[in-house]
This record gives sequence, structure tokens and C-alpha cells, in this order.
Amino acid sequence: MEGGVSYARMPRVKIRELKDDYAKFELRDTDASIANALRRVMIAEVPTVAIDLVEIEVNSSVLNDEFIAHRLGLIPLTSERAMSMRFSRDCDACDGDGQCEFCSVEFHLRVKCMTDQTLDVTSKDLYSSDPTVSPVDFSDPSATDSDNNRGIIIVKLRRGQELKLRAIARKGIGKDHAKWSPAATVTFMYEPEIHINEDLMETLTLEEKREWVDSSPTRVFEIDPVTQQVMVVDAEAYTYDDEVLKKAEAMGKPGLVEIIARQDSFIFTVESTGAVKASQLVLNAIEILKQKLDAVRLSEDTVEADDQFGELGAHMRGG
Amino acid sequence: MELGSYSDQSKSTFSLVDEDHTFANSVRFTLNQDPRVTFCGYSIPHPSDNRVNIRVQTTGDPAREVLKDGCQDLMLMCQHVRSTFDNAMTDFKRTQTNTEQEMDTK
Repeated sequence: MEGGVSYARMPRVKIRELKDDYAKFELRDTDASIANALRRVMIAEVPTVAIDLVEIEVNSSVLNDEFIAHRLGLIPLTSERAMSMRFSRDCDACDGDGQCEFCSVEFHLRVKCMTDQTLDVTSKDLYSSDPTVSPVDFSDPSATDSDNNRGIIIVKLRRGQELKLRAIARKGIGKDHAKWSPAATVTFMYEPEIHINEDLMETLTLEEKREWVDSSPTRVFEIDPVTQQVMVVDAEAYTYDDEVLKKAEAMGKPGLVEIIARQDSFIFTVESTGAVKASQLVLNAIEILKQKLDAVRLSEDTVEADDQFGELGAHMRGG
Repeated sequence: MELGSYSDQSKSTFSLVDEDHTFANSVRFTLNQDPRVTFCGYSIPHPSDNRVNIRVQTTGDPAREVLKDGCQDLMLMCQHVRSTFDNAMTDFKRTQTNTEQEMDTK
């Protein structure tokens, strides 16, 4: 056992905040290795759909072909279907060609500027062969002005300039290229436990208390206007910067506050690119972690070290 | 791929292709909780090589079975987190709905 500590095998979850593209939740009674595995899978191993192949027919814009192809690849596409899609390399329907309904989605873009006004070519101009896979819509539904509803700009065209292309979107993971990462940021922090030594705090003047509270770069402490006592208002705002501890020592009051990072409690924040909902991103990550474990558990690929490695076999046995 | 010996199956090094810290560190943690395990550690021989070596030494049980049990344990934990997260989502949405209804009545 590690240091004689036995963690409960069954973690607890509590959701603090949940939106389509943002989630904040607590994961308790588990270890950093599990929390970190979850974080890493969310960033790099949850699959999404992104444009991977671009065939440009006409491009008379100021941006060259590969520049536009790169920009198209980085446009997030709604990827609820990604988990059930096939990787194009594993697709037997198209022999790994990556151009069939099971492993790819086709997009078309045809735009020509006919006026003296600069024309913005945006993700809204991409037409998909599959209605479930389309560019993510970042527009505010309540906003009426067209500025907020125009999508992601791909290129700007002047009079006479034209862009005509066909793009193939495929399933992939963030490990292969960042365009396939469904997560904008995934972070976790240890939950801080803050204990103020009330007896020691009483020895400070109001001015000293105020000075001590202000030494924290984030708003963790506050002085109660009625009782004049220092209280913790937002423990999670503490960034483990140790400023309050240094200040207490500088004031000649070490032990004024005790801050402990709970090693078995984590606060996760998950921000999605919009390709997958934040809540679904967490669930998909768990599913992928399970698949990885299952693959190892069921593998029967064994090599006898004595036969294959000669003298190294003895070392493997600890001899 | 398992690198071990038929004469002593309680000590083995497992070389897993296409895995990294994500898998290895969580398995290491789970295995170190198992009372049958005397040593468990992992190394990545080279960052460019998609391979991780997990060393498992046990009190006598076959290292292979212990590793499989560790994976099984971790899978059960993942399943538990999944169902707990689902329940937490349902609770959160219910709370949100109730709050919105209260706001409307005010």
C-alpha cells in the first residue's frame, strides 16, 4: 500500500456549474493519478470530427491554398456522432480511403464576391452532407445584429475574387492534431482547506488585519464589518501563492493561518470548444478510459522473456 | 507484451504499445493499493516511442492476473464515476429547474 493510505475506490461527484460549453464539478475520494488520467483523456483522446482533406477548385483570394486548408481544419464541427463513427484508417467500407458515410462527412464551399463591399467568407458558408455535423454556432441567440451571427471568418474577398472547394471531415483525436481536441481547457486543482488561528488573529489591530487580507492577490478573505473578524469568503479563489503565509511571517505571526491542499478532493473545470457538450466530454472521457483498460485486460499477447531476451530474462526474474 | 518467466510468474514487466502516463499512472496507483502487490512502477523508455513498461511484483500470485484485476478495478471505478456523474447532472438540472420556477413565481 502507498504510505499505508487506502483510498476509497468509489469517488463522489458533485456538479457546481453546467452549461453547454462549460462545466465545473468536484471529484472526491480519489487520487491525483485518476484525476489526471481523466484530464489527459479529455484533452487528447476524446474523438471529434474535423476537416482533414481539402480539394480546392478555385482560389483567387489573397490567402494561399494551404493557408485556407489549415484554417478550415481548425473550425470546430459538432461531433455528437464522433464516438459512433469509424476512424478512416479502420474503415472497411472504403478500404481506409476515408471517403464514405461511415467515416467521413463532406463539405462544400462556393463563394464569389460580386460587389465593391468586402465579403467575409465564414463557417456559415460551409455546407455539410450530414446535418448532424456542421460548424459550431457561437452566435448569441438573443442578439439580433448580424455582426454576432456571422460565424468564424475563413477569408475575406474583394470584387471578382472567388473561393470554391470541397472538404472531407474525418474522425480523429487531439493526440494526432490539436484540431481534433474537443477541449479548450481542462484543469483541476486540489481543494484548499483554510484554518485561521482566531486567538492569534485577535492580537492584530484592524489596520494589520486589513493589510493581511489585502496581501492575498485573490479575494479569499474578508473582514466582517460588524464583528471585525477575518473570515474565509472563497477558499477556492486561493491559488497556492503563499502570499498570506509570507505576510503573516513578516508580521511576526507565523501560524496565523493554516492552508492544506486536500490530496483526495479535486475541483475540475472543463471548457469545451463547442464540438461536444462539456458534460458529454466528461462521459466520453470515462468511456475511453474504460476501453483502454478493457483492451489491456483482454489482451493475450505474452512473450516468454527467457526465450526472447536470453540473459535479460534473468534480470526480468530479478535474478 | 509480457516479459516474464514461466518459473516465477510473480514478477513481470508488461510492455504496452500506444499507451502513456494516462493509463500507466492510474494503473500504478490502483495496483499499489492491492495487498498482493509488493512493487509496481512504470517507465517510458523514450518519449518518441509510444510504449510504456509496467513492472509488477507480487507476493506470489501471477503478476499477469494481478494486472488484469487492477484494470478490472479501475474499470469498475470508471463505471461508478460515470453513473455518479449522471446522477449529479440529473440533480443539478432538477435544482436549476426548481430555482427558475421559484424566480418565476416571485
